[in-house]
Amino acid sequence: MEASRLRREKQSRVEQLIQEALELEEQQRGEFLERHCGGDESLRREVESLLAFDKDAPNFMEASALQVAAEALAMEAPGPLDVEDKGQVRSIGPYQLLTRIGEGGMGQVWLAEQTAPLQRRVALKLIRWGMYDDTLLHRFQAERQSLAVMDHPSIAKVFDAGATSEGQPYFVMEYVSGIPITDYCDQKKLKIRDRLELFIKVCEGVQHAHQKAIIHRDLKPANILVVEIDGKPVPRIIDFGLAKATDAGIAGESLHTRLGSFVGTPGYMSPEQCDPAAQDVDTRTDVYSLGVILYVLLAGNLPFDTQEWKNKPLDEMLRRLREEDPPRPSTKVSTDRDTSSATAEARGTEPKQLVSVLRGDLDWITMKAVEKDRARRYVTPSELAADIRRYLKNEPVIARPASVSYRIQKYVRRHRYSVAGAAMLLLLLVAFSVVQSVQLRNTRRERDRADRIAEFMTGIFKASDPNEKLGTITAQELLDKAAKDIDTGLSKDPELQASMMHVIGRAYMYQGLYSRGQSVFERAIKAGTSAGLQESREIMNTMHDLAWALQEQGQVAQAEALERKTMKMQLRVLGADHPDTIATESELGFTLCQEGNCAEGVRLNQDVLGKQKRRLGPEAHYTLVTMDNLAIMLAGDHRLEEAEKLQGESLEIHLRVFGPENLSTINAMINLGEFQRDLGRFEDAKKQLSQALEIEGRVFGPDQPETAATKYDLATVAAHDGQVEQALSLLRQAVDHGLPPLNALNMEKDPLLNSLHGDPRFTALVAHAKERAAAVQKAD
Amino acid sequence: MNAGELILWRKLFSCATLCDQSGASAFSEGLLGTPSVHEVTQLLRAWSAGDQNALEKLTPLVYRELHRAAQRYMARQKPDHTLQTTALVNEVYLRLVAFKEITWEDRAHFFAVCAQLMRRILTDWARSQQYLKRGKGAPHVSLDDGLVVSPQRSPDLVALDEALKALSEVNSRRGQVVELRFYGGLSVDETAGVLKVSPETVLRDWKLAKLWLLREMSGGKQVEA
Repeated sequence: MEASRLRREKQSRVEQLIQEALELEEQQRGEFLERHCGGDESLRREVESLLAFDKDAPNFMEASALQVAAEALAMEAPGPLDVEDKGQVRSIGPYQLLTRIGEGGMGQVWLAEQTAPLQRRVALKLIRWGMYDDTLLHRFQAERQSLAVMDHPSIAKVFDAGATSEGQPYFVMEYVSGIPITDYCDQKKLKIRDRLELFIKVCEGVQHAHQKAIIHRDLKPANILVVEIDGKPVPRIIDFGLAKATDAGIAGESLHTRLGSFVGTPGYMSPEQCDPAAQDVDTRTDVYSLGVILYVLLAGNLPFDTQEWKNKPLDEMLRRLREEDPPRPSTKVSTDRDTSSATAEARGTEPKQLVSVLRGDLDWITMKAVEKDRARRYVTPSELAADIRRYLKNEPVIARPASVSYRIQKYVRRHRYSVAGAAMLLLLLVAFSVVQSVQLRNTRRERDRADRIAEFMTGIFKASDPNEKLGTITAQELLDKAAKDIDTGLSKDPELQASMMHVIGRAYMYQGLYSRGQSVFERAIKAGTSAGLQESREIMNTMHDLAWALQEQGQVAQAEALERKTMKMQLRVLGADHPDTIATESELGFTLCQEGNCAEGVRLNQDVLGKQKRRLGPEAHYTLVTMDNLAIMLAGDHRLEEAEKLQGESLEIHLRVFGPENLSTINAMINLGEFQRDLGRFEDAKKQLSQALEIEGRVFGPDQPETAATKYDLATVAAHDGQVEQALSLLRQAVDHGLPPLNALNMEKDPLLNSLHGDPRFTALVAHAKERAAAVQKAD
Repeated sequence: MNAGELILWRKLFSCATLCDQSGASAFSEGLLGTPSVHEVTQLLRAWSAGDQNALEKLTPLVYRELHRAAQRYMARQKPDHTLQTTALVNEVYLRLVAFKEITWEDRAHFFAVCAQLMRRILTDWARSQQYLKRGKGAPHVSLDDGLVVSPQRSPDLVALDEALKALSEVNSRRGQVVELRFYGGLSVDETAGVLKVSPETVLRDWKLAKLWLLREMSGGKQVEA
């Protein structure tokens, strides 16, 4: 009794000492124990031997046991936990595995014998380790009901799903002893007509599933097996409902995992499936895959050469699938000389004949099915089948050639990445929105107008681009051409002429070509006025933009006068609360501030902001624009703290609503960076501006005025921060890469660069900048 | 409402929300051979009453959770982005057990049973892994470049189990603290609720138990805890 009491006492003494020692720094512990253990060596040893593990303790057992085991498992067993083919019989539930009949990206397929409740042969698909997540079976369960109601001769049934004792999921399907549809057709040398008839049956099966609200999502020849019944080929589509269960879970995972699951059959995936940002997949996805299968059945090759892509990065491959248009089937046959005779032979014909059979209707049908834009595809498999039937009956097909406006869309898509600058994109996008809104109205006059725009736009491309090498043409050349053509091209329709000029002018403005913008705006106003439209919204907006162009060129007083005139008209015609009027009011405030009256500018814009928050909501685009303007004016009125706070709020909304790759968001970043600079918070400022610069470089390219101006801003921060070398280097880059002339000419006097004054390198740079600016202005 | 009750409310609430979304209904239908939630609860009761057959039925379920968790590690891109311990284990409970069926008196007991179960199954699993590795003649430790786990973070579960047995002999409450926290995944407050002691006591037990276990596992001197 006495011994146990003593032991307990000692134990609590040990713990007491440990607790206290742990509070101390390590080097103080020795002295502490010396003092408190007195001469009790065994006590001291006990305490020290435990304290020795203090450094290991924080991490020890911090992960739970399950986590530790899972980590170990993840490390030790990276390979698939698939059934190994060792010749021994293995059972999974009531299924006895017989032979392995396939192995693919998703897992292994086994021929199996079901023993209960009935005896039959089935195909059992074991999902590969890493290709599923913990919700797979739940999702499958959710789809089970609908799978059960599918009953169509072209669809193989899915019976069951479960998981092995190790947790590996499997699916049990009707066993189909057939061969992939493309192989079957080639082996049997089926003619085009027979191929089409077989293909129609496939469409019918898919249509049936769609009616039961099931999308396949992974249609490809390997999933469409052909069996012969009474000597006639019958397609059997397998794996219905599986792709959703497996892919949907993976979609939530990293892109990497998703891409991994794609590698197998990229050729048959729809563009929307290739787009990591696109979440929704609908029946038109299956239509696309059917289109590719049709393509292969007709032309013998995939629309895109996926072999060639094997050496390319996956995202490059997916990008091409999303953006590139494939050749027509007939073109494919005639250009693939290596394979064309074999292709023709497998279709019981000659290459030349095959090309002529495919050209026209079959080209159009196939191309409509594999449209990148799913809105232009056949909506359902039965529509596709119906058009093929029309072809077989020599009736006109609905997949007729594309209209004019459709053709320009193709141009844009093709040249989306090859033409420099945002100007052309803007120009075209506005033109298309005009075309589309006009087409919706559908009157004869409006349709004619839409066609005129379309022709005008395609004309610009065609004339400047005889060899389809638009990449060598700059956005500015393109705009110049448009501006020149527009006088003659649209002279019969001054209203349209005025609005197109307005669009082109805005495109110039976004290019930083302000005097060109000014001139086109002036012409637009003149054209509009001559058509009696001087008080139309369009022309008043053009006046507003003309003021903008004047302001950008430093003609502030003229800008103010024009804005006052515009606002007066807008107040009369549209009223004080109209968005156009509000926009001009805001601009006027901005101009006043530029003239030195920022207090008045702030007042006007606070009024504007109040109206916009009420009318448009606190997160609307224009509300945000006003917040940004107001912040600048507050700063101009020496109210920097308020400015920084407002700008921070605005940026936070921008990032949430528009994301980082957005012009307004970038502006908000830059402004915030400038305020932080002026408040002396250089590190914050650099962070903001560098981020903006990085995005601008990515979005606009390095040689754009915006990018250069941001470099200039970063230079001012460095100069303030006393980092002369960095400041000079950034300035030189800015000057050499498109710094707007106004900035270049004012550089010498810029107080933000005061710390560089007297440095001979800065003096040289100023001279250099002036030369560059003069050269640019001469060209402009 | 005491701490334990609060925790339980939280768990019940998260079950109510999670179960609806993640389709616990699939379990209640007895999805594809998986025992229903109700059955799992019965099995846990049976096992704690000494029925060894129940363990055989429960083991595959825990294995499945283990594989799910492991898979998430494999899918993970950034090594520094670790799973949250309690979230993971709580999720296991949610999957395996119908909280609504368990009465308040049962709950402390239930957590204890779950923790014991996890300890038993995971230790057995770790032991089988060791046999497997020895059998294959594979190196005892394999380190993947992308997934380096420090030995402190990932203790040898077999050795830990032994050390924990020794700890429980000298201080049973401290052993329980480790069991509930490390195997059961309970937080300090939750553990305090189950053991009906203060969180400070749990924290102190936890700290001292760690030091003691580390010394024990390092082959150090065995003295009273």
